[in-house]
Amino acid sequence: MNLALSDEQAMVRDMVRRFLADRYDATTMAKGPMSPDDWRALGELGLFALLTPEQAGGLGGGAAEVMIVSEEMGRALAITPLAEAILLCGRAIAGSAAAEEWGDRLMQGDALLAFAPGGALVDGRLRGSAAIVRDGMDAAAFVVETEAGALMLVDGQDSGVRRTPVRLVDGSMAAHVRFDAVQAQPLTVPAGMWAEAQALAGLSIVAELVGAMASLLDLTVDYVRQRHQFGKPIASFQVVQHRCARMYTWLEQSRSLLLKAALAEEEARVRAVTAARAYIGDAALKLAEEAVQLHGGMGVTDELAIGRGLRRVLLLSRLHGGGIAARAALAA
Amino acid sequence: MDLALTPEQRAFREEVRAFLAASLSPKLRRGAALTSGVFAEPDIAREWQAILEAKGWLVYHWPDHAGGPGWTPVQRWIFEKECAEAGAPILPGMGLKLVGPVLYTYGTQAQKDHYLPRLRTAEHVWAQGFSEPGSGSDLASLRTRAVRDGDHYVVSGHKIWTTQAHHANRLFALVRTDPHVKPQQGISFLLIDMALPGVTVKPILSASGDHELNEVFLDEVRVPVSDRVGEEGQGWSIAKFLLENERGGSSFAPAILADLARLRTSMGPLTGELADRAVRLQLEAEALEMTELRTLIEIEHGAAPDPRSLTTKLLASEIRQGVEALAVDAFGLAGLQLPVERPFYGDAMPTPIGSPEAQVAAARYLNARAWSIFGGTSEIQLTLIAKAALGL
Repeated sequence: MNLALSDEQAMVRDMVRRFLADRYDATTMAKGPMSPDDWRALGELGLFALLTPEQAGGLGGGAAEVMIVSEEMGRALAITPLAEAILLCGRAIAGSAAAEEWGDRLMQGDALLAFAPGGALVDGRLRGSAAIVRDGMDAAAFVVETEAGALMLVDGQDSGVRRTPVRLVDGSMAAHVRFDAVQAQPLTVPAGMWAEAQALAGLSIVAELVGAMASLLDLTVDYVRQRHQFGKPIASFQVVQHRCARMYTWLEQSRSLLLKAALAEEEARVRAVTAARAYIGDAALKLAEEAVQLHGGMGVTDELAIGRGLRRVLLLSRLHGGGIAARAALAA
Repeated sequence: MDLALTPEQRAFREEVRAFLAASLSPKLRRGAALTSGVFAEPDIAREWQAILEAKGWLVYHWPDHAGGPGWTPVQRWIFEKECAEAGAPILPGMGLKLVGPVLYTYGTQAQKDHYLPRLRTAEHVWAQGFSEPGSGSDLASLRTRAVRDGDHYVVSGHKIWTTQAHHANRLFALVRTDPHVKPQQGISFLLIDMALPGVTVKPILSASGDHELNEVFLDEVRVPVSDRVGEEGQGWSIAKFLLENERGGSSFAPAILADLARLRTSMGPLTGELADRAVRLQLEAEALEMTELRTLIEIEHGAAPDPRSLTTKLLASEIRQGVEALAVDAFGLAGLQLPVERPFYGDAMPTPIGSPEAQVAAARYLNARAWSIFGGTSEIQLTLIAKAALGL
């Protein structure tokens, strides 16, 4: 049993942390999606290749690397397509011709793939729609999971692809995508890879949430120390101290389940990720709500990272059915 | 980073497992499962203590210089986890976990030589004389006074919430030796023979009908000065050391997880809100287990304890209370049985309706309310966390 980062892991963490610290602070965190230039810069640093399996031309980083990178993204409240574009779609194309066509561009940050659940194959063509496709407006291609559960690749240039923009609560842009008899290329995902992809995407989201929780707690502790009412810092009031202490327990319990999920043996990983999702989404939202409360009126504005952090946490914590679906899966 | 046990640790776990399988009789398991209070009753506890002592594993959490087996933090955790899963009795901690470490840390050689062996054989059974009627969370305000008279202290005062004092023959107590200095500086730590004239124990019946708690009256009890631990006035530092052991000395989660698993078996399939509560408690307990392990692993690798270790007593109290409340709800009316006979595993108990687990559920629910009060209330814990972890 050992919880220390390897030298390589510490280097990756420090690199991502420095990169993000140069771009995000309390006034810029979660203001809007990461710029394409910054995304490309992360690609050029090799970050996405690190998180891509070897079968898709990457370096085959595992769950621990996903956790480390995602937590830093969350700490900066960076709004990126990491989980779905790199972890989910990057694995969906592994082993197919699509990997040659898209793999390098995806890893370099030049092209985005978006995950679009929906549609059905009729006479060899994809028809139907995907209601909300995250980052669907910017995607160069779509990994479609049809209603029958087949994975297909659709080129965003296909004339039968129609996109309508949908702004989401965290400020990121999604698309409502209609497929009007478009050409779809079947993806032959290696055995176990799709389940691994879903587990890692889920892990990335809870790691982002834990990073966001740590930031929101730090900002709140700083704020209650400097905010004066009744002639003293509100941090001197026991009710404020206790609420901050509660937030800390939620953060530590969340980090524990995150670590357990990231370090689980392969056969236990799906269950451990589900457990982390079942707990962390709700804990993160509670913590973000407390952060708003302790910031008073300023917390509900768009001025501070706190209010915007709440929006980001709300989105991340509700993805894929959120804690409700995860707990139902555990109870079954 | 990994959470895997080394081959040596896995072999150790097998050794513990085999020992528990061979040593835990059905009587001991049943006694442990149907314990309604925090600690096993004396008949169960004495038998299990003797088995552990014979094996050399009773004081598994003591360092080797004090007579412990020299286990690492992870080995101790493995032992506790296996004991919990096997359903071993929870031994009273007042001697083994509280005064034992105080003695080998602060005691004179004569005190160690006299008291440590007798603690291990259970010739001495210890009770903790800290709280007083007017001094709970504000422990430093305690008023029991000890006045020096030659080679003795003359001790008078009133201790309360003294767990299992009616089974004990020794009391360790905080007493005020100097009323003229800052409250924390005037306190000393005494070992008191409960057979001495002037010691009276009166029972306090819990809401559950259990007799776990007592009041202890001290009326001019003459305690030899040689039974003071540490210097005069050092009692408060010793008490803080002891309370840190009480709150964080061992892991809480393994026992909660094991109890929850056993309860799930006897409760049967749950649906709706009960199923959701069970999942949430399971998640909280799994998270707590990892929170405890993280600190243990860091200590194993040479780090100082992280402030996160301050969260575990608070969290364990709440999860424990949640588990007992779930049981009461899941068993329905059968979970509201509260016979007056004790212990629940005894022959005098009426035939349980539903299951023995249902019969004990209400008593366990009521007794579990004490978790967020003893050893520092949850409110005190939150204040400690805010200070130590967040610098507030």
